[in-house]
Parts: sequence; structure tokens; C-alpha cells
Amino acid sequence: MPYPCAASLAGRTVSLWLFVLTLVLLAGPDFPPSPTSAADKLIIYSGRAERLIKPVLDAFTAKTGIQVELLSSGTTELLNRLKAEGDRTPADIFITNDAGSLELARTAGLLRPLNMREIDRAIPQQYRAPDNSWVGLSGRFWIIVYNTTQVKPDQLRSLLDLADPKWKDKIAIPNSGSEYLQAGVSVIRATYGDERTKQFLVGLRDNGGNQVYQKSSQIVEAVAKGQVAIGIVNHYYVYRHLAMQPGAPIAVFMPDQQEGGMGSIMNVAGIGVIKQTKHLESAKLLVEFLVAQAGQKLFADLDKEYPLHSEVKADPALIERKSFRAAQVPLMRLAELREPTLTLIEQVGLR
Amino acid sequence: MTTIRQQLSSPLQLVALASAGLIILPLGYVMAQALSVDAVVWGRLWTTRIPELLFNTVSLAGSVAVITLVLGVSTAWVVTRLEFPGRRFWEGALVLPLAMPTYVLAYLYSYLLGFGGPIEHLWQFVAGPQARLFSPHSYLGATIVMALDTFPFVYLLTRSALLNMNLSFEEVSRASGVSRLWTLWRVTLPLMRPSIVAGLALVILYVVSDFGAVSLLRYQTLTYAVFQQMTGRSDNSAASILSLFLVSLALLFLVTERWFRHRSRFYQTTGHYRSPQRHQCGWPGTVLATGYLSVILGAAFAVPAYLLVNWSFSMQAQATLDGRFMGFVSNSALLAAFAATGGVLIGLPLAYLASRRPSWLNLGCLQAAYAGYVLPGPVAALAVLVLFTKLVPILYGSVLVLIVAYVIHFLPAGLQSLEPALQQITPNLEEVSRSLGLNVRDTWRRVTLPLVRNGFIVAWVLMFLQTMKELPATLLLRPVGFDTLAIRVWLEASEEYYQLAAPAALLIVIVSLPALLLLVSKDWRAA
Repeated sequence: MPYPCAASLAGRTVSLWLFVLTLVLLAGPDFPPSPTSAADKLIIYSGRAERLIKPVLDAFTAKTGIQVELLSSGTTELLNRLKAEGDRTPADIFITNDAGSLELARTAGLLRPLNMREIDRAIPQQYRAPDNSWVGLSGRFWIIVYNTTQVKPDQLRSLLDLADPKWKDKIAIPNSGSEYLQAGVSVIRATYGDERTKQFLVGLRDNGGNQVYQKSSQIVEAVAKGQVAIGIVNHYYVYRHLAMQPGAPIAVFMPDQQEGGMGSIMNVAGIGVIKQTKHLESAKLLVEFLVAQAGQKLFADLDKEYPLHSEVKADPALIERKSFRAAQVPLMRLAELREPTLTLIEQVGLR
Repeated sequence: MTTIRQQLSSPLQLVALASAGLIILPLGYVMAQALSVDAVVWGRLWTTRIPELLFNTVSLAGSVAVITLVLGVSTAWVVTRLEFPGRRFWEGALVLPLAMPTYVLAYLYSYLLGFGGPIEHLWQFVAGPQARLFSPHSYLGATIVMALDTFPFVYLLTRSALLNMNLSFEEVSRASGVSRLWTLWRVTLPLMRPSIVAGLALVILYVVSDFGAVSLLRYQTLTYAVFQQMTGRSDNSAASILSLFLVSLALLFLVTERWFRHRSRFYQTTGHYRSPQRHQCGWPGTVLATGYLSVILGAAFAVPAYLLVNWSFSMQAQATLDGRFMGFVSNSALLAAFAATGGVLIGLPLAYLASRRPSWLNLGCLQAAYAGYVLPGPVAALAVLVLFTKLVPILYGSVLVLIVAYVIHFLPAGLQSLEPALQQITPNLEEVSRSLGLNVRDTWRRVTLPLVRNGFIVAWVLMFLQTMKELPATLLLRPVGFDTLAIRVWLEASEEYYQLAAPAALLIVIVSLPALLLLVSKDWRAA
């Protein structure tokens, strides 16, 4: 009897260990996501910055009493997650900052077509999927933000000119993982072809140097501080910055409006209902709320985006929507253009 | 009895094997995936990203190593070889930077060193209004932040080497007429070399696997690139290729560290000797030493901590301290508690078998558990993600996946304390207890348990705190409604809402402080 206690310790360890493991395994899948009951909450995967979407969702909760649970993360990351979770996803709603990602979700069969008159009436056809699997909620333009003390607007014309060496170390750009950079490059490719786009990206890469940012708000901040002269961002980040700091020396330049130019690059933030949702009625209510005039007005006022509802006016501070052209590449095409665009971005070595 | 023992040992063996499998399988899976990726993708990555990323990672690690070497060795020398008022305070205070996660220090420095920030203002006061500082979002910025955060590793190892060194070597040298400086160079430093190199390898391992600082300072390293590939691309093939490089690099430094740590033990176990005498400083020496230590500790801890406290009490920050914030606190605590408990439960059979029945199989299982050291957060997340989606997709998106990633990632830290604790319980002690008339249950309660208890508690606490600070795996794997304090800090800081990030960051630092006691007392490797 050399190790009497060793045997006993081993026995106890094993039984305790197995017991706890079983417990964890049993509890794991149905682990309650939060102390309050998650069962009747609407679960939203959102690729939009939390502070841009949460106030709107809070307004929805206040109006309908429907609680929402928000998982904010990168759009592509959430798309990957939805694919991986498949039928078992807890998500009811997918909100993104990019139409291409929504179209990819639709082609992957993740979204549920919606037959709702409210959508057809409110949102023009070109801003939603033909079967309403996804619906655009607000329009954004990929613009040049410039520091008014360093740059005059007549020095600017087209996005493609920003590849000129004269902007070396004077421009801040988003990192290559950002969906609107990918969408923007896709539009340029569709308009001018791969060769021209590649030249543009190489120039942009060299001019940007290490001024490559994860967040658009940081780019605007850098331009406002005079750290760089110009940056490429979505327009609303500029207006949001100006709303908080009215004196900031920044302004929006709407690019590519010259004769024969492609027009400004437009994208939409949008929403899709997940196919497997167990809360279809609540989900539909949310979509309805967001496309209706009141919801559209919220987006316009809070986020400084262009509402897609034809009767809702954008914030008066914004450049009048009718005064400029948008590029003629349908939003639906952003999905199929994505993969070759990523390859091109990687070839160029954009960060 | 023998048959019972055999019966009992085999399930335990199975459990150990399963645990080791759980840890090694995801790693193997990612590696296999990387190697099976199409050659075209390999070629593209090889010509575009990999050289730049390898260069960035290695050069950051190199420069941080040089700075931590200077800071760590010099501070250790000051507190062990000089005597001046306040010496004991500094001796303890120099580990404080370890309480600050890299992402917290990085975000504070992107304000301090930032464009138009306080340090630039100070510099313009000296060098004229047009003077510009370097951007913190650069190689230099990342180097400074990582060096300030990690030099205590070198400090701790060098300090203990200096304290345990046999003084007679130096005395012989001095008695033979060699000057003080030359003695330092020819005798003292070579004796400490293994400890210093071990400390440096640890620093490098830490830098190579860091995600928090490089992501906030936008410095492209392999670890950051793995994260970006996972979040920016629709498939994980590029991420797994980069992971392969990262793991190889980390393995290289882990082996280096182990090798030198092993050698460093050799020097310290020789004979009986008296502790070194400290040189009594006059007031100029005191001022010099205090000034030097203040500058370093001010930059690495005091100023950042002051800023955190200040921001935490700002109006904007106070407004965020609502029920939602409490939810983040309880999420952090809950996840960390689960991970720590899971880690102890998985580590126990591994460490127990390796110490009681050190067969090659059991030792192999134990070594497998140390794989976490070469799995930086994003890679651990990728590994677990890939494995779960392939094998048990039903669990994907649940808390369990995240906890498994934590356990894999932090088990080495726990094992560091579990292993020695279990080695203490030799069978002899239990046999003595039995022969003195205690039954099995009482032996366990009065002999075995008290012996291992402290080791367990230390292991649990260390894993708890590391999990609480963890960032990349949490970002990638958190289920709905499971934002933690670390996540909040990163989300707010990455949009430069500095004040809003402060309360969560401050809480993390405060909770981490007790762990430093453990760290200084024994398990310094685990921060």
C-alpha cells in the first residue's frame, strides 16, 4: 500500500473534475447572455459604431417597449460570425455600414426577404435588395475632408488626384479592413478598371505613410488638429465633429464632380432580418420604425447622414443632396466586386 | 489496492490526455489549415505582407529589448547595491507598471505624446512654437510604450540575481586589484547574464504577442495583422498563415528563455554565502538615484495613473457609470472566474500526474499545456474558432468557446503555481500521516490540502486577473451581451474618447494591484 492517499486524491479529483466539466458542458450552449431574460430581447449584430446606432435603438425601445441587445463589432467580422453560426445564430437583425456586406449576407442565404409596403413606399428601389432582404437606411458619401487653414478647395478635384506625390505625408487614410474603403475602391475599379485603380492605390499608400487609421473619427480629428491636411472619410464624421466643435477648421469637399468625373462614391448603411429569427414581428417593427419618417429623421439629425426617405430632409448643415452627382455603380454590385478588390488592395500592400 | 489504484489512475490519465488534447488540438488545427492553404495565397502574402510584418515585429522586439535591458538592469542595480532613504519603497514600486495593461498605457501615451498633447506643448515651450514631436503612432511610440510596460520583467530577474549572487567572486576580483567598474564588467555582469537574457526573452515574447498597444498605436506587427485578417477578410486562410509565422517566432523566444533560465539556476545554488553589502549614498547620490527612479516610474506609472484618476472623475466619465457599466464589471468578473476555475481544474490532473507519475506521456501532456505561451490572443481565438466551427458548431458563439480560449491562453500562468504546489506533497508526508492514525479523509483535509491550497489560490488569482485584462480573444469571441471592461476601454480609446475609457481602465489597474504582491513574492512570470 504505497500511496493510499494518492489513490483517494486521484479519485476525488477525477469525480470533481468530471462533475464540473459536465456542468459546464450542459450549461454552456444555453448560457444566459445577460442577467435579464434574453429570450424576448431583439438581438442585433451591428457593424456600425455603437454611438451612431444606440440612440436610434433607444428611441425604438422607448416607443415600442421592445428591448434590444446590441453586439457591436466589425461588419465583416459579424458577417463571418453569422455564417459560422448558421441556423443556430441568436441574432435577429444585422445592421451594417456597407451595402456590399448586406448583399453578401443575402447571397449566403442568411437574410429573410420582407414583403412590407412600408419599405416599398419609403425607400427608393436602388437602395434596397429586390426582395427587400436588406434595406438601406441612410446614405453616406466617401469625401475629402480638408483643413481650411492648409488647403483651398480649388486644390482638390478628384479622389484619384490624391495619389499625386504633392500630398505625400499630408493625407490620412482608413485601413484596408474598413468596408467603406473596400466599397470605394470597388466603385473606382468598376469605373476606371484595375490598372488605373492600382496606380491610385499605390500613390495613396505612399502618400499616407503611417497615417493609416482604424476609425474615421480619428482621421477627422487629425485633420482638425492640422496633423494632416486632408483625409478620406465618410461625410458624416466631419459634420458630427463640427456639431461638437463648431469652430474646427475643417470642411467637406465633394470629389469627382468635374466634367466627365465619376461622381461621388455613395454607400448606404442598412438593415436585414436574419432568416432564423424567432422574433419576426419585433424585427419587422424595428425595420418599419427605421424606414418611417420619424426614424429617418433621427438618422439625419443624430448621425448627419442623408436620409433615403424622399420626404425627409437632411441636416441643413450638409451639402445639398441635389447639388452633386453620385457614382453610377449599383449598390448590389459591391458584393461581387469585393473579392477582386481585396486581392488588389493586398497586392498593393495597403495596410 | 493496486488494482483499485490502476483503475483510478486510468480515468485520471484519460482526463489528462483529454485536457492536453483540448489545448494542443486547436493549435495543430490552425497550423494544418495554414499549410493546406493554396500556394497562390502563400505567394501573395509572401510578396506583400510577410516581410514587412516580420521586420516590424522583430525590430520592435529588438528595440524594446535594448531599452528594457538598460532600464531593468540599472534600476535593479540601484536598489540592490546602493543604500539611500526610500530604497525599500522604490524596490517595491518598480513593479507597478506591470499593473497597467499595454492597451491602457498605449492609449494614455497616444494622448500624452499626441499631436498638440501636453508633452508636445512642453517641448514647444523649450524648442519654439513650431517644434513637433514624433507621433506616438509609430515605431518609436510603440517602442516607448512597450518598454515602459515591460522593463519590470528584466528588473525583477536581475534584482533577484543580484541579491542571490555569491559575493566572493566580486571580492576576489577586488582583492586582486581590479577596479570597481572593471569588476562590474568582467565579473558581475557575466554572472547575471543568464538571468538578464531570460528576462529579455520574456520581454520579447510579451512584445511579439501583444495586441493592445500595437492596435491602439497602429503599428503593424504579426499579432495585429492576424486580428486584422480575421476581422477584415471573409476567410481565415491568410490569418492562419500569419499565425504560423507568429507561433514559430514565439516558440523561438520561449525556447531561448527556458534555456537561459535553466542555466541561471546553476549559478544560484552554490553553497552558503552572505548577502551583498550596499554602498551607503551621500546626499548627492541619494538625489541622483531618487531622481533617476522617479523619472522612470513617473513615465511608466505615476503620470499615467494620475491621468486615469483625473479622467475617471471628469463629468463625461461619471455619466457613464450606470447600470450598464456595472454589467461590464460583472461580465468581466464572471468570465474571469469561470476561466480561472476551468484553468485550475484542467491544470490539476496534468500537474498531478506529471509530479506523481512522471512517465513520458504525463510529462508530454504537461508540456503541451504550456502551448498557451506561444499562442498570442488572436491566434488562440482563431484556433478555438476554427476548431469549434469544424467539430462542435453547436457551441460556437457560446460563452464556452471564449472560456476555452482563455484557459488555453492562460493555463501556463496557472501551471507555474500549480506545479510546485503539487510537487510539495510527497507520498512520505501522507504515509506518515496514515501511520500516525489519521484516516484517508483526515489526511487529505489536514495534510494534503493545506500544502496545496496556497498554490491553488495563487494559480486561480493569476488566471483570474489575466483573463480580466484579456483583449483580443474577448473581442473576437464574446457572445452577445458580454462586453467586458477591457472591451470598453479598447472601444472607447480606439475612437479617442479618452475620458470615457478611463473608469474601466482605472478599475482594471486597481484590481490588478494585489496580483503584483503575488508576482513579487513568487510568480513574476505571469503578468
